[in-house]
Amino acid sequence: MLTAKDDILALLDSALGRSPGDQTELTYISGREATTRFAENVIHQNMLSADARVIVRLIKDGRVAVSSTNDLTENGLDRAMRDAAQLAALLEPDGDFPSFVKSPAAPAVAAFHPGTDGCDPARRADAVAAIAAAANDRGVQTAGIFQTETVRTAVVNSLGTRQYNEETSAEFSVSASDDAHEGQGWAHGVRRDIDQLETTVVGRTAIDKAVRSRDPQTVPPGEMTVILEPAAVGQLLLFLGFLAFSGKSFAQGRSLLAGRIGEQVAGENITIIEDPFLPEYPGLPFDYEGVPKQKVTLIENGLARGVVHDRSSAQMAGTTSTGHALPADNARGPYPKNMVVQPGDATIEEMIASTQHGLLITHFWYLNFLNPMRGQMTGSTRDGTFLIANGGIGHPVRNLRATPALLDVFSRVEAIGRERVVYPQYSVVMYVPAMKVAGMPFTEATE
Amino acid sequence: MADLVQIEKAGAFVANEGRRVADYADFRSVRITSESIDLSGGAIDKVDRTVSFGFAVRVLVRGAWGFAAFPDCDLASAEAALNEAAAIARASAKLMAEPVVLAPVVVVKDEYQTPVQIDPFAKPLKEKIDYLTSLDALLRQTEGINRSTTSMSFRREEKWFYSTEGSVITQTIVHSGGGFTVGSMKSRREMSERSYPTSGGQHKAGGYEIIEAMKLDDACEEMAQQALALLTAPPLPEQTTDLILSSDLLSLQIHESIGHPLELDRVFGAERNFSGTSFATPDKRGTLKYGSDIVTVTTDPTATGGLGTYGYDDEGVPAQRVAMIDKGVLVNYLSSRETAARLGLESTGAMRAESWADLPLVRMTNTNLAPGSGTLEELIADTERGVLIQTPASWTIDDKRENFQLGGEIAWEIVNGKRGQIYSAGVYSGNTVEFWNSCDRICGAEEWKLWGTPNCGKGQPGQNMRTAQGTAPARFREINVGQPA
Repeated sequence: MLTAKDDILALLDSALGRSPGDQTELTYISGREATTRFAENVIHQNMLSADARVIVRLIKDGRVAVSSTNDLTENGLDRAMRDAAQLAALLEPDGDFPSFVKSPAAPAVAAFHPGTDGCDPARRADAVAAIAAAANDRGVQTAGIFQTETVRTAVVNSLGTRQYNEETSAEFSVSASDDAHEGQGWAHGVRRDIDQLETTVVGRTAIDKAVRSRDPQTVPPGEMTVILEPAAVGQLLLFLGFLAFSGKSFAQGRSLLAGRIGEQVAGENITIIEDPFLPEYPGLPFDYEGVPKQKVTLIENGLARGVVHDRSSAQMAGTTSTGHALPADNARGPYPKNMVVQPGDATIEEMIASTQHGLLITHFWYLNFLNPMRGQMTGSTRDGTFLIANGGIGHPVRNLRATPALLDVFSRVEAIGRERVVYPQYSVVMYVPAMKVAGMPFTEATE
Repeated sequence: MADLVQIEKAGAFVANEGRRVADYADFRSVRITSESIDLSGGAIDKVDRTVSFGFAVRVLVRGAWGFAAFPDCDLASAEAALNEAAAIARASAKLMAEPVVLAPVVVVKDEYQTPVQIDPFAKPLKEKIDYLTSLDALLRQTEGINRSTTSMSFRREEKWFYSTEGSVITQTIVHSGGGFTVGSMKSRREMSERSYPTSGGQHKAGGYEIIEAMKLDDACEEMAQQALALLTAPPLPEQTTDLILSSDLLSLQIHESIGHPLELDRVFGAERNFSGTSFATPDKRGTLKYGSDIVTVTTDPTATGGLGTYGYDDEGVPAQRVAMIDKGVLVNYLSSRETAARLGLESTGAMRAESWADLPLVRMTNTNLAPGSGTLEELIADTERGVLIQTPASWTIDDKRENFQLGGEIAWEIVNGKRGQIYSAGVYSGNTVEFWNSCDRICGAEEWKLWGTPNCGKGQPGQNMRTAQGTAPARFREINVGQPA
């Protein structure tokens, strides 16, 4: 598999030269992913998977078609381009998409670390073994992953766009449990540079939470003040990204922000920005049409400010692309991939101290749409939920089902954390603080 | 891309040489060809064709697993993958409680092909596009309809499997699916949608004949009228009542609250960090009253036409029909050779990987609830007061698979054995074991359908699997439905 920038671009340039299209765009995506997975304090799955594919988007006589292949030989790429040309011949001309564009080079980001790229299975196994030993000492079992990945992305088109990026990630996630006492804990860390990833801290945080959440009690459902740890905030923000900030659904009138730009949609203390250049975890600096990504203010002091666009949704909305196109074989439309929430000035301890009655929530499980039109979600708490009583942490609590409406949550934030963490979920990366939220609805409690 | 000779050489290499570095090794090569067509409002959203090919080697070294997957396939890469997998397995052995033991499997040299009448990839693309375009036009003939999508998708997997135990298996699996949505939108807060044959479309094993058999045109008018009715329908009010689930919504209920909790790797904690565990622990096998006496559920990859239909699973275990819940009692699980061996059982042949690049995991196959008797209309007539909910719209369940909340696109009040008021937002919730024990009637074989779920997520890294659940409509007594006003 190719790993050198020049070799990858030369492969694409060569294919461009042979394309039967009037215009052609080629997107190269390669991944080398190594995952050490553990459960019951042992490594039960351990794998390396590598692949590279090229997505062809071709315009012929005004008709646009897509094909993709992981056969990157000359024959394989030629076949994919021929397939796209044959598909195009069957379609009607797309008046909304007259041409590709030549984009300027996107700024380079420091997202590749050789140490992460070269991490071997022994290193991952040793880190997991250390956590398993710590868990055994405290009568707790651990499960999780230690994963390293290298992704290379290039986008070229026949008008002269040439973009290239390489990035690495190292992710460590631990669930700790004591089933006999219903204790659960979870912690997570992700870095571009594996040497910055503190696996011991992550593991011990999860183990500690599992120990502290032993023998939980049931609390009745109802509306409660909650302190959401950053992962819980990230999970709600992820779905807000899908429902509110997508340019395609915005242009079609379905977005939670449709017709509301400039309106107060969240609390004045809420500012959310799409920022692919976050130093803590830089993202891909261009999109899959080769358009350089822009920082986009989504919500500013609670006011709806903007959404993200690709060229197609931008055309629908009468604006310009913000550089958020997904790969061409994906019809979902653009959504933000690097959301950053502006921090506050509180610590979690201060939030707890200011709360008479509430819950401290680690994160949610299986959040799903209950009523997309209202932005209402449903999901359960998980991996360490604690009662807050009279300004202190009380007993651990069995899981409850929450049914929050997303913009409602972000309108009831009473405090925002000053520390933020990088939280990835479903290929979206968020930089999020903890939050104290008044009146989150809970409809059911586990007995 | 490798030809058949190269694939066979690479597979034979791993089968014959694998024991130099491992106690067990298997080779699995897959070529996936897929095509999808999506129209929205009569205009093409996406038409694309994808080809993906590669192979993976899985090994056991001193009882620890290793796995390596690479694109394309030749002797050199097979040797590299074997050595890489063995190195990974040696790392796994650093943290191992007991060596992995595999339940035995019959060594076979065999092949399997999905029965196909009309090759969906040979069907001219123009005909498919024209059909979806005409379908869309039919949907929009109803006044008030201004939202519509039509779609089709096809997938062919060609698989080659070799193991150091001597099995050589080739399979060609073909899936076809499609459907439409129809709706009306007056504003962001006034929107409705109906899906047919079900949300996400219906997907089965077979060729283009599956699309033709759906008779999508015949359903356009009725679904359009239901979408219009939903625009002004109130949300289902909160109440405890008898609940009838349509077979497509019950299919999802089976998926979430029977299929997933009975994945034996999940039971042993393998998924704890991601999709959770299961309440159905091994000590409950043979004793747990999972459902009422009329609830019998099998895993059956031998069933015709399901997304979970195949000849052999991805570790060479033959497809077989196995009861998991027998007259309400938990009796078995979906399992692999490793997980079954931990209980002293034989594998139920449920190891499946999304592609060549993915590690096989214990997955659902076709998870089927045995039919009872009677039609849906007879069941409604037999219900004094209740609610009928149809077509999945929302779903969630806790991390032990106990407390769930699902919802349908449309609901009808049932009063004195007749359908009445239509409701939107038809949600219901419950506890898995209590729910299945409240099942007091299941419709008959004439109402039984095998519904495809093409997007079941599991594993780290995450994989998508195609499963199916077969069921007829059924009734459940005294269930919490609706939402507070």
